[in-house]
Amino acid sequence: MTCEETKQLFADYWSDGLNGEDEIKLQEHLGACEGCRKEAERLGALWRDLGALPAEQPGPGLRSRFYDSLAAFRSGADDRFSQPSHRSPAKQMVWQIAAGIALLLAGVGAGYGLRPNQSPELSQLREEVANMRQLVALSLLQQQSASERLRGVSYALRAEPNDSEVLGALLDTVKRDSNVNVRLAAVDALHPFASSPATRNGILQALTKQDAPLVQVALIDLLVDLKIKQAEPELRQLLQNAGDAGVRQRAEWALENLQ
Amino acid sequence: MARVSAGELSKLAVLFERHHRALFRYFVSMSRTREMAEDLVQDVFFRMLRYRSSYDPSRPFTAWMYQIARNAGIDQKRGGEVVGIEEYMERHAEPASSSPGPEEHASRGQNLNLLRRALDRLPRDKREILVLSRFQNMKYEQIGEILGCETGTVKVRVYRAMRALEQIYFALEKEKVS
Amino acid sequence: MKKLTLLGLALAGALCAQDRLTLPFRDPNAPRKLNVDLFLGSVTVKGYEGRDAIIEYSGSDGFRGRRGAPEPPPAGMHRIGGGREPDISEDNNVITVKGGLWNLTGDLTIQVPVETSVTVKTMTGKSVTIDNISGEIEANNMNGEVNVTNASGSVVANSMNGKVVVSLNKVTPGKNMSFTTMNGTVDVTLPADTKATLKMRADNGDIYSDFDVTLGPRTAPEVKEEKTKSGRVRQRVVRAGTQQGTINGGGAEMQFTTFNGRILIHKK
Repeated sequence: MTCEETKQLFADYWSDGLNGEDEIKLQEHLGACEGCRKEAERLGALWRDLGALPAEQPGPGLRSRFYDSLAAFRSGADDRFSQPSHRSPAKQMVWQIAAGIALLLAGVGAGYGLRPNQSPELSQLREEVANMRQLVALSLLQQQSASERLRGVSYALRAEPNDSEVLGALLDTVKRDSNVNVRLAAVDALHPFASSPATRNGILQALTKQDAPLVQVALIDLLVDLKIKQAEPELRQLLQNAGDAGVRQRAEWALENLQ
Repeated sequence: MARVSAGELSKLAVLFERHHRALFRYFVSMSRTREMAEDLVQDVFFRMLRYRSSYDPSRPFTAWMYQIARNAGIDQKRGGEVVGIEEYMERHAEPASSSPGPEEHASRGQNLNLLRRALDRLPRDKREILVLSRFQNMKYEQIGEILGCETGTVKVRVYRAMRALEQIYFALEKEKVS
Repeated sequence: MKKLTLLGLALAGALCAQDRLTLPFRDPNAPRKLNVDLFLGSVTVKGYEGRDAIIEYSGSDGFRGRRGAPEPPPAGMHRIGGGREPDISEDNNVITVKGGLWNLTGDLTIQVPVETSVTVKTMTGKSVTIDNISGEIEANNMNGEVNVTNASGSVVANSMNGKVVVSLNKVTPGKNMSFTTMNGTVDVTLPADTKATLKMRADNGDIYSDFDVTLGPRTAPEVKEEKTKSGRVRQRVVRAGTQQGTINGGGAEMQFTTFNGRILIHKK
């Protein structure tokens, strides 16, 4: 084997791609030719070092922008993407949200032995992961950051009005979220879900638990808008017990209005 | 553009999760600016949606993806004018890999840092073939498919790229010593 | 994690003696967060050019609580802890300062690196002040005012019976924000180029801005006719509508709500 022929095997040699026959021929030549041996060693070391270079990791913004764009895409803003992506508004979303979705999707993917070049299996995901926005809303509502939960509420507002999972998450937020601002926004987001009986019961339950006057007022308004007449006992209780004069005033108005 | 179903968007999310890190590494190695690399990664996924009808399921998916990625890199436009990656690099002189990592403290780390600088100075075609084969762990057959050449040609080009890399590496090392 | 909480408690004991405690964030390169959850006392959080959290107490009675002078320590002994310290702990770059009913009666000043996300909650503090912080800011003061100055990032602020004054030098695009109070003015200053979709509601007050606000839909206010004592009929707005609007073309949602008070949105 000539030096020239030997060097043509180097690429396979470094990447462990040589077949047995070529491997033997190569080693024979390297044993005999010092020039080729030294070169194989030097370049081989460099090849190993290339593999040891730490991979640059993308920032959290990449993921959030991608999922933002995806959600926007879903809502029909397709023409935005005929432009290069860096011109679209770079909305932020903490990476955890997307990571949550990723876990979910990865779970689904793993369950089906998903491989990227098996497109029929990919298409099975259609049934498994039906609604991107639902996922985004649901995972956003679980976030540590109040700003992100507010964002989840915004997404929930755009969910299908019959999406019971999103409704459940919203009602849970109204009842349990630690932040007043998030609870307040969640109450406003309940309007599109008005027709569901779960909404009505949820509002009544939330009203008895609520201690922030702003949220109490928002809930009373919602009761009136949805004409929930069975709210009378809860309203009377507020009329008597609410610490804030504004809340008592609003409860009185609601009682008149619901008669 | 045709409407895209929710299922297809979900597929895209799965593909994103599987490939965005590798694509980012490809672009950051090719463009050396993180900001641009992130833009390009995002661009690739939405190009996949746009050109999804061009995907031939009988061929490897990654080859198709990197073809799109290469085109995205070439087409990258700023302010209405076409700017190639090379040109963009020159304008944005600061390399993405310039921030010192903890690996720089060890002497092997110093070597690696030198190696990265050498790689950054490698001509674009040579850099690309090493990035694809070494960073993306792609088979030479696949690389041939992406670059549109024979597998044998890929192997020769890998060898030549390594030789060129070695020369730059040693030149940088000398520079440092002197 | 348990270990670190214990460490925090031990340090809190030290804080008791000198009313000043320095607690490092474990990983200077990872995102930092400060959580403050108090019952009593005003809180000031300030960003500074440093790496640690410096927690200072400026009340007259130290961390001893409010039940009069403390008993002197028994001969030959020194105080190593007790039930009335704030619980200060660090876990995974999150520093938490918690105080119950009996812990703190004075004011707390905490300095943290500028780039720290801060959450402050207090029940009866006179004020919550957050200055020079870049990150996600969450401030909740039940019976006092909230002041956020020199902020960049995002702010979610609420007061029940106080004004909410927030000034942002820089806004992270795409972050939802919210500024609400039941009784008080909502006064927010935003950079001139902020892109946002505004949702404003002032039940018993007016809304002012020097931004060029493109007004969107508004839910109609409800008006009730009342007879005054003199027999005249007058109209009273019983429920204000929510006014929507956008600035600079719109962006992430910002909510401004006050029941009794005005809304001021300033352009910086």
